[in-house]
Amino acid sequence: MAELEFIHVNKVYGTDTTAVRDLSLHVGEGEFVVLVGPSGCGKTTALRMVAGLEEISEGTIRIGDRVVNNVSPKDRDIAMVFQTYALYPHKSVYENLAFGLRMRKVSKAEQRRRVEEIARKLGLADMLQRRPAQLSGGQRQRVAMGRAIVREPKAFLMDEPLSNLDAKLRVQMRAEIARIQQALKVTTLYVTHDQVEAMTMGDRVAVMRDGVLQQVDTPQRLYDAPGNLFVASFVGSPPMNLFEATVEHDGSRLVFGDARLELPADVVSERPGLRAYAGRHVAVGIRPEEVREASGWDGARVRGRVLLIEALGAEQLVHIEIAATPLERADLVDAVAADPGPSLGVEDLERSVTLLGRFDRPSSSRRAKRSRWRSTRECCTSSISRPASRCRRWTFPSPPESWGSDASRSRGSACRRDTRSRRRRGG
Amino acid sequence: MSSVTQIAPTPVAPVVTRPRSRKRLRKAGWNLVALAVLIVMVFPVYWMVSTAFKPGRKILSYTPQWFPTHPTVGNFTDAVRQPFFWDAVRNSVIVTSVVVVLSLVLAFLAALALAKFRFYGRKAFIVVILGVQMVPLAALIIPLYITLARLKEVDKLSGVIVLYLTFVLPFAVWTLRGFLLGVPKELEESAMVDGCTRFGAFVRILLPLVGPGLVATSIFAFIQAWNEFIIAYVFLHTPERQTLMVWLASFTTLRGTDWGPLMAGATLCALPVVVFFLLVQRRIAFGLTAGAVKG
Repeated sequence: MAELEFIHVNKVYGTDTTAVRDLSLHVGEGEFVVLVGPSGCGKTTALRMVAGLEEISEGTIRIGDRVVNNVSPKDRDIAMVFQTYALYPHKSVYENLAFGLRMRKVSKAEQRRRVEEIARKLGLADMLQRRPAQLSGGQRQRVAMGRAIVREPKAFLMDEPLSNLDAKLRVQMRAEIARIQQALKVTTLYVTHDQVEAMTMGDRVAVMRDGVLQQVDTPQRLYDAPGNLFVASFVGSPPMNLFEATVEHDGSRLVFGDARLELPADVVSERPGLRAYAGRHVAVGIRPEEVREASGWDGARVRGRVLLIEALGAEQLVHIEIAATPLERADLVDAVAADPGPSLGVEDLERSVTLLGRFDRPSSSRRAKRSRWRSTRECCTSSISRPASRCRRWTFPSPPESWGSDASRSRGSACRRDTRSRRRRGG
Repeated sequence: MSSVTQIAPTPVAPVVTRPRSRKRLRKAGWNLVALAVLIVMVFPVYWMVSTAFKPGRKILSYTPQWFPTHPTVGNFTDAVRQPFFWDAVRNSVIVTSVVVVLSLVLAFLAALALAKFRFYGRKAFIVVILGVQMVPLAALIIPLYITLARLKEVDKLSGVIVLYLTFVLPFAVWTLRGFLLGVPKELEESAMVDGCTRFGAFVRILLPLVGPGLVATSIFAFIQAWNEFIIAYVFLHTPERQTLMVWLASFTTLRGTDWGPLMAGATLCALPVVVFFLLVQRRIAFGLTAGAVKG
């Protein structure tokens, strides 16, 4: 077991394609860190650099106390689980599991003891003599895991190990991997493009985009306090609703479409930076679960039309069309930036945004079906004096008295971004 | 499937019989065609072997004798006693084994480079390899002869070996490249992470997995080198340096053909190919990479 550290690591392919840019990341001893990001964001490259399968163009990677830049993969004492499992097809399960031990000149008896122990733990005991071709997908996956575990390496590297499994098995193996990692307390760097996987498994999650690390934090903090618009739109399923609004009235009011949301006084006073944004555009983010029904709510309201209700059993997703300008920025995850499609209900307005609401009572859906359904929701803004760093966010859970007064309880989030530059470009 | 059969109502007899019998008829037709093809293919071989066992006068009788009623091995002893038989055997064995071994080693290394490394001109190289196979052999004989004559390699086994290699290698490289491309690179990488050097991963993982490709290539090289006639006939003049195929042709003389010993000799020549094929064919059959990655 050892800690892993990237220190200002760059990876350049050829002369001009940069896959990883100035990556600095520390994985503590026994910690489970997930690298997550859309495909092509450099996360797998980063992992492969740790494994020694990819040369490091610039910077340093440490495993434990040792700088491993020029150490060959076999001497790094790490184990890797590949997306395709990469089991040796001409070897039996036993030989597959024992291969790493054999290469490290572990005695035959010790090999047998360790392989059999792992096989028992992973439920592979009665298929040790089979070939990989005779195993199911889940079994192959477990052999791949076993091959990594049996070595007792300093660190596990996992490259999307679950993406070849079907949905049900994936959820099952997700828990199993997390459980194994917790039991063994082995430093683990795990790569995935699936943010649900990242959120559920990692002690900490590192979000990457275009080779640049966006934010590293615990899943909850990442969800509550996304550092930028990309993280805000990437983390969370369904994703956060993002749209544009104008700050008015000394920073105490948000205007979008025909809605005017007054921000409570304590929010404004706590975020003096917001004042500077008066008359400017900001991005507003509302988590789907923070959208509430309007009945019994006398705070700020947003009017919208229900386009679609997706019933998921315990909860439902309601698509609500509201009048607002969608965010069009390159740093959003595609799904969020996607065109909302033709307007069905909001007329005479330039733009509309589909607001996704998440409700947990089926009863609310009946009411939601009314044509002029009103959604209250809380809004959120941000205000921060440090534009480039982490945004603070609020949502305002039900009783207005608590608005913004207790930051730790707030769950929705929003990020401020000045969008004037986009407008200037003619967006 | 079985559940579907249970659910489906039992078909009414007359409706079903007709298409089924037509289907059966069509199947029988195809089987007959296949049988005819088989006979056409196998008969010459059978005739060669059976003629080899017939005594001389029965071979040229007007009523063909389908089966040697009085088999004799006289033809075989005659053939073996022909001058230069053992020289020819030795030459053929040398040429064939050198060609097989050299082509395997060279083709494997070339294929490895083509499959695993990116270098300038790789695409062009692959196309050229395929392209040179399109040139007809007959058109090459004279230029090749002139070239080898200048290099003083005519009438030498080494010259013929080089020529055979030029014909075997393109195919071998092409085939092996396909097999190597079929081995996912994660397997090697995984082996390297597991504690192998690059060379170790190559020997322990890659080599066993391209085994079937090596076998297929070696069979091709063996048959090519063993059975080749034209080049050997043109380039090897001295009887002591001729290969078996050229030696076989010596049965046909101006005074006619000595069929019995010729067929016996031909049978003897065919034996090694058959034996070699039987030895290695079991290893070709299945794709070894099955199960390496998600299947």
